Amino acid sequence: MTADNTTPTYVLRYFDIIGLAETSRMLLTAAKAEWTEEHPEWPQEKPNQPFGHLPVLVEKSGAEDEEDFVLSESGSIERYLARKFNFVPTDNKQMARHEQLRDQHLDAIIAFFAQLSLVDEAKKEKREDFDAMLDKVIEIHTSLIRKNDDCGYLFGEELTFADMSAYAFYKLLVMYAVTFEADVAPFVKDKITPEVLHLLRTVESDPLLHEHVEKKGSFVAHILTE
Amino acid sequence: MTSYIFRYFNVAGFGETSRLLLAASKADWSDEKPEWPQEKPNQPFGRLPVLVEQSADGSPDFVLSESATIERYIARTYGFLPMDPGEAAQQEQLRDRLNDVVIAFFTPNLVDASAREAKNAEFVGLLDRLFSVHSELLRKNGNNGHLFGTELSYADIATYAFLRMFLVNPMESLKQSPQLVKSKLTPELVKLAVTAEADPLLEAYVSKRGKVADVVQV
Repeated sequence: MTADNTTPTYVLRYFDIIGLAETSRMLLTAAKAEWTEEHPEWPQEKPNQPFGHLPVLVEKSGAEDEEDFVLSESGSIERYLARKFNFVPTDNKQMARHEQLRDQHLDAIIAFFAQLSLVDEAKKEKREDFDAMLDKVIEIHTSLIRKNDDCGYLFGEELTFADMSAYAFYKLLVMYAVTFEADVAPFVKDKITPEVLHLLRTVESDPLLHEHVEKKGSFVAHILTE
Repeated sequence: MTSYIFRYFNVAGFGETSRLLLAASKADWSDEKPEWPQEKPNQPFGRLPVLVEQSADGSPDFVLSESATIERYIARTYGFLPMDPGEAAQQEQLRDRLNDVVIAFFTPNLVDASAREAKNAEFVGLLDRLFSVHSELLRKNGNNGHLFGTELSYADIATYAFLRMFLVNPMESLKQSPQLVKSKLTPELVKLAVTAEADPLLEAYVSKRGKVADVVQV
């Protein structure tokens, strides 16, 4: 460590909700990065963001004359942190497998929100899209856990980006999406397979995420009560 | 030699950037338009697009889903995206944003009539912001027709694909948007499109499928 402290520090700028920032929060914590969260006044701070929206990641190098590195778009932020802190393999194909899962999680989440404001037939149709995507995601997670000797991680034997993204996915639906439509929580909980539960437990008990769970509470405990 | 099948519908949609990347890579590739929805259960996530990579040595196909993941995979394989995470992220965020704007365009169809006007206005606002950010980057990079550096990059191709979608043989469902997008083009964005189309890597592709340069004043 040099005297002028050139270890980067991070600011994650978002709303005080699970939303689309949970995976980034987990990545920063698991990376043992020095980071803080900022909840900007909204919409006053909108014009000050690169693309007028959140989340935004600010990486400060610590060196005096270096500009901050500012990144937008939750997916790009997550992939940046995952790559930088080695939570994805460097092999192109393997990296792509993590990324496609994350994109799939997001598509399912978008599908849930897309049906919220609809009614009648239109809503029914769009809700069925969400249901089908949720089923598919659960099927894929379950299959990956089994193929990975049921060790509790999706790939390999250590906590990876895919694991954190999957955990955040279920947490978002059960604890955040529920504030928009109450029935989604029991709906999702009922579909969680033993393998998915094993994944959630494994992620939550990983020492790298101890601080995160301390701060945010146990999602697994939330699922198991009621 | 490695070859690719790009499985998607016969539209630009979320497939154009991948097609442009495959063309620019000079790899052996073909489009495949599956019977739909019959082929739905045969896709890894039940959706399209899907990329199938077939290797020459007979090892199993590598199958990838999700348009953005497919794009980044091809872009990394053929050097259109840097391996440095920070540099890659700067390009990827632009593509993510372009995608958000495309989705915002289609959102008015998903809400009821009373909310539609507000959603349309939202799209226009997003488009303005998007074009302003892109034009600023192009200027900062010396207005050489590239968003970063001096060669055709993933960000250039994704931006160019966005412009193509609205300006070159646009789909019926885009309605008035082609005129809107055309009216908001900046000289910097026009130069990006012209530069991409003049690039030897894309010449063959655009000569067969139409050019932005034929549609706008250059």
